[in-house]
Amino acid sequence: MSIYPLISNKLRSGPRLFFASTGLSLCFNLTMIALVLFNSIYAEANPIQQDDIIATDIVSNFDELGHGSLLFKHAKQYRKAAQLNIDVVMNITGMINRVSVTQSFSNTTDDWQEGVYVFPLPENAAVDHMRLRIGERIIEGQIKEKQEAKKVYQQAKKQGKQAALTEQERPNLFTTSVANIPPHETVKVEIEYQQIVDYDNGVFSLRFPMVVGPRYIPGKQHIDGFAGSGWALNTDEVTDAARITPPILPPGSQRKNKVSLKINLDAGLSLEKVHSPYHDIEVDKQAGHYEILLKQKTTLANRDFELIWQPHAGDEPKAALFTEEMNGDTYALIMLVPPIVKKAETLNREIIYVIDTSGSMGGQSIIQARAALELALTRLKPGDRFNVIQFNSFTSKLFNHAESVNAATLEQALIYVRSLEAGGGTEMATALHAALTNQSNDNSLRQIIFMTDGSIGNEQALFEIIQKELGHSRLFTVGIGSAPNSHFMRRAANFGRGTHTHIGKLDEVQTRMQNLFEKIENPILKDITIDWGQINSTAKNIAPNIESWPQKISDLYRGEPLLITAKAKQLPNEINISGEVAKENWSSKLTLNGGQTRQGISILWARNKIAALMEQKRDNEFESIKQLIIDTALEHHLVSKFTSLVAVDVTPVRPLDKNLDSHAIPTHLPVGWDHNKVFGQPFPATATNARLNFIIGILLILITSILILYLHGRRYLGSPIAPTVGVRNINPNPSS
Amino acid sequence: MIHTFKKVLIVFLLPLCGLWFIGQGSYIHAKAVVAQLLLETAWTDTLSGNKEVKPWPWADTWPVARLSAPTLGISRIVLAGASGSSLAFGPGHLFGSTPPGENGNVVISGHRDTHFSFLENIKKGDHLELQSNKKTSAYEVTSIQIIDKTKVKAIPADSENKLILITCYPFDAIQSGGPLRYMITARFKHSFILS
Repeated sequence: MSIYPLISNKLRSGPRLFFASTGLSLCFNLTMIALVLFNSIYAEANPIQQDDIIATDIVSNFDELGHGSLLFKHAKQYRKAAQLNIDVVMNITGMINRVSVTQSFSNTTDDWQEGVYVFPLPENAAVDHMRLRIGERIIEGQIKEKQEAKKVYQQAKKQGKQAALTEQERPNLFTTSVANIPPHETVKVEIEYQQIVDYDNGVFSLRFPMVVGPRYIPGKQHIDGFAGSGWALNTDEVTDAARITPPILPPGSQRKNKVSLKINLDAGLSLEKVHSPYHDIEVDKQAGHYEILLKQKTTLANRDFELIWQPHAGDEPKAALFTEEMNGDTYALIMLVPPIVKKAETLNREIIYVIDTSGSMGGQSIIQARAALELALTRLKPGDRFNVIQFNSFTSKLFNHAESVNAATLEQALIYVRSLEAGGGTEMATALHAALTNQSNDNSLRQIIFMTDGSIGNEQALFEIIQKELGHSRLFTVGIGSAPNSHFMRRAANFGRGTHTHIGKLDEVQTRMQNLFEKIENPILKDITIDWGQINSTAKNIAPNIESWPQKISDLYRGEPLLITAKAKQLPNEINISGEVAKENWSSKLTLNGGQTRQGISILWARNKIAALMEQKRDNEFESIKQLIIDTALEHHLVSKFTSLVAVDVTPVRPLDKNLDSHAIPTHLPVGWDHNKVFGQPFPATATNARLNFIIGILLILITSILILYLHGRRYLGSPIAPTVGVRNINPNPSS
Repeated sequence: MIHTFKKVLIVFLLPLCGLWFIGQGSYIHAKAVVAQLLLETAWTDTLSGNKEVKPWPWADTWPVARLSAPTLGISRIVLAGASGSSLAFGPGHLFGSTPPGENGNVVISGHRDTHFSFLENIKKGDHLELQSNKKTSAYEVTSIQIIDKTKVKAIPADSENKLILITCYPFDAIQSGGPLRYMITARFKHSFILS
């Protein structure tokens, strides 16, 4: 009540102030009343008694929430993990890239440490060597069946011996474990792999991934202890979730995983340009080859590295043959670029655009995806039909069924696409179902353009859906962002009988989508078969036993080469490749003479064989195919899903009374990702703006009343004498 | 002329704006109340064996459980997913957590000023019930914590059978979007199968 005398004291300064003040206090009171009122709408129970005050603890230390049970932990946990530096050396000759990746684990603590590092490699990498380097000593890794290798490693770890283990989690995802790193020392693990570089439309390229984007793990959680180092628990759909989800450094963390790169490029032909779209590089042209380094010497391991090299126009190789003799067998890598057919098919198309709007697409990725999708919409022609499907935790469609292209539907689609925001889970299976069901039976070309970063842990289940439900549709994947799951992009497109592309930054949307449009709008070469002919061998005992992989050859889109690896006692002089393009037969003879010899063709052949067998793996013949994969991998010293490389030092170094601390090496969040979109989801926004709205509303109405009073006040109290009269009437007794 | 303009402004525009804001606020509350009524029907349907019953044709969520606090006389239909659009209609079950009716860590969140305003009145030792389409589970509140989401990035996901309820804190904050969360953890006691 003390506010009233105050007002009467101030009265001399004018009646306006009086009215305003009264109004304000009235307003304040009303607001409080309103708050109490609206609060009680939901308080159906008796209001809480003053002495029942709830005991609440402020949780400042996350450990109080249960040790080892959090999906995400605070930064200080990672200080103890070993520091990691990665040195990469690539030797590219023609189409083959031999790479050595040295991972240095530095223990900066006073304790003995085990480091566990989950890292990506190219999806077609054939890992055939691992070496443990301790100071000057080198211990060569041995290939063993996965369980056995693990046992060997565990035993060495227990005995205090230094040891390293390299395991494959996915074709593009590996784990290195290093046991017994002495305090304040560094242990190095060198991994070597071989791969075929990409060749498309006359341009060579390779991608070297540096970080595993946090994967979405669908399914029900089950607890079988933390079998891995990750932030996710295993689920019924992703039984190895804990192994593929390395801890992610929170924003602002001081830890840095650094990568250095050195590339020797011997393209075998003169080049128009060599460039790297995501990193600054220094290219040094030597006689016949190029030496490439990062301009900054090192880079953070937080996005894919890509190198692109382009021969002069007209110089693009049209065919190539590389061979290797090993143990009495000849291994060959055959490349052939089919001629480009100009005639375009004029079939009407039904195009289903599917866009991933999950949390991992937040930040830069969703911007790139929206731009790509908008561009794709402009390619639609009258007569085509289309639909847009988005998915995160849910799948939703723009139209119930595909609609014909016209100004109205296009406008609707553009508005829809521009409003897409990222957030939530990545329930990709429902989106695939939605895209693949309701296929019409007419002859129109049905194409699905699937834009995602592939940050999911249940790849296999998704591939099965594509295989089962594909029908006459074709699935094209567009890998978005700085660290897409390339294994998913390539395999999904393979099962979907389409092709894939990558977009890593906004500037690339135009060129990469253009390339994709050219592929999907031009006739493809399909039903490709290879006639290996009769071997005109004089030795009767030699059967025409040529084992070539892949055996089922994918359709080739415009600009794509045919790539085949083969193993034979003796290669035929000539093979005949045939197929069908734009409803016409096509065939080409290829002479298999005078190829270049290269080391490691057998490795590429074995890698292709394992990849093809992994696809064939079915429940009924699982064991026999698994055995075939193990045999091939052991023979060629290859890491696979069922085989690992393990290296163990002879002498124990850790005194057995000293404990061994085990830490997962934390990795960076891929560049352009939004941390909160990925990890913030577990805490949803749980308040509405209702209260704020009420308050603003009431305030506005009160201000109105004050203004009305003020105007009235001016009208009636305009004379200098009048205020006293007015005040006398209104002023309440201060003592009351 | 100026006078007329001012009058129009004061007599019509300002109060209209005010009414609009109040309307917005009321709409949020009305939606919250009406949706729960519609959800009752959908939940009855779910209990009779139907799956993913959409409470209204364009809904992108469906009821998955009924959460009740018997001592407070409160009952809420819980929706699948805790996205902003489902939380407007009811408390949401977090996708990453264990589904209601199964063994594990069930996490449900709701708006502090609508469906979950009652959390303020929950005390340690209170009983909560969660009815799924399989059974009803009884829980006992074991801890009540306030969490700063900028410090703790996620909800514990461990092996214990429990129910976690999350809402924003403080309950009477005027603005939404604060970093604090009110978290009630209840331990599983027993369950009974629906007759």
